[in-house]
Amino acid sequence: MDGSPSFDRFLAAVDRDGAIAETRTRAEASLSRRRLLGLALVGAGASLIGSSRARAARGLAASDVSILNYALVLEYLQASFYTEAERSGALSGKTAEAARVVGATERAHVEAFRELLKSQAVKRPTFDFQGATEQQQPFLKTAVAFEDLAVAAYKGQAPKLQSNAVLAAAVGIHSVEARHAAWMRELFGITPAVHAFDKPASRASVTEIVASTHFIVAKPQLTKRRRPKYTG
Amino acid sequence: MLSVANVEHRQDEAIGVTSSRRVLIKAAALGALATSPLIGRLIRSGAALAAPSKAQDAKILQLVLQLEYLQVAFYEQALQQASLKGDLRDFAQTTLGHERQHLAAIKNALGAKAGPKPKFDFGQRTKSPDAFTRTAIRLEDIAVAGYNGQATNLTKGTLAAAAEIVSVEARHAAWVRAIAGEVAAPVPVDKPMTAKQLAEGLHEIGLKG
Repeated sequence: MDGSPSFDRFLAAVDRDGAIAETRTRAEASLSRRRLLGLALVGAGASLIGSSRARAARGLAASDVSILNYALVLEYLQASFYTEAERSGALSGKTAEAARVVGATERAHVEAFRELLKSQAVKRPTFDFQGATEQQQPFLKTAVAFEDLAVAAYKGQAPKLQSNAVLAAAVGIHSVEARHAAWMRELFGITPAVHAFDKPASRASVTEIVASTHFIVAKPQLTKRRRPKYTG
Repeated sequence: MLSVANVEHRQDEAIGVTSSRRVLIKAAALGALATSPLIGRLIRSGAALAAPSKAQDAKILQLVLQLEYLQVAFYEQALQQASLKGDLRDFAQTTLGHERQHLAAIKNALGAKAGPKPKFDFGQRTKSPDAFTRTAIRLEDIAVAGYNGQATNLTKGTLAAAAEIVSVEARHAAWVRAIAGEVAAPVPVDKPMTAKQLAEGLHEIGLKG
């Protein structure tokens, strides 16, 4: 079974959240949360809701825009993680091959969400994976945690999406994240499918977990605010 | 080794207008760039779906019940007849346990209205490790596509429950692929199946009647 005693803190936190019934009140208890997460997902979502009251991307409900941006930040996180791991040259064998495939997929997810959100897409935050991309075992352990977290995060949001169109796309990505989770677990040597039912995680708890990793070192911003000039 | 600053800069390039060719070529080779068109198609087809209702949930659950009955029967028979060993046997046993719990949950949701256990004929599919592996991959993919295809047709409460099952089916699909040495997640977005396609898929594997 899940034989890793030091198994990831944020995976543990997801499990804990699954045990607690997901409460909306918690998601709304934003004061301490906002202080805690000044730099992460909630900030991005909140500012978007504020700015998108008047005009949503492609006629999407403001709440859908907010959920899509939350998903986009998770996809940025994953895409950057796999891309950095690939480039570090630390991976070998089946793990290197899996990271290449999964990385390309996560980058495709990023592109798809950006395409959908257009000017309302949040910008890629700056990440610091603190060495997790530089050795195979820490890479796998972190990948397992990210993928399990992504599955729980998508699952938590799916019933809240207003647009059927966005929902149809989101469930197709949700199950791909589950495939990734199983694949990374198999490579890490732990059971790919532990429970008969995968539990959702609330946005507040996912945000908290991501913030606790300190992998995001700079706040995601709206691209519409002002595009930074690239000299290259 | 690359410094973090370097990596971040290059990632910005990869995602922006000045795309890294290497990334693009790899993504294209994997068919990953097909994501956006698929999402586009899903989005165009999304608008035409029927409004969810409790009655519609029940119809969908009856079909899903057949899927879960079939999965339980398939793994039970394979464990008896396919000479499964090692990782493949572990996979079949764990998955059977999950499918039994899924079946119980769907039966429970339908209550007295739950349809009877169907008949199955798996032919040679449960008779050897190779045939079992190929069929398990197909079956789990069908389960994922079948559940995903109904997401927009279900009421939100039933959708939330189905979402807890579909990702486990997806884990099974990836698990058995990994054991077989295949790419465990071959597409960037799982393509949905209609109810009709799901029923056809179940008959293809061994559902009778």
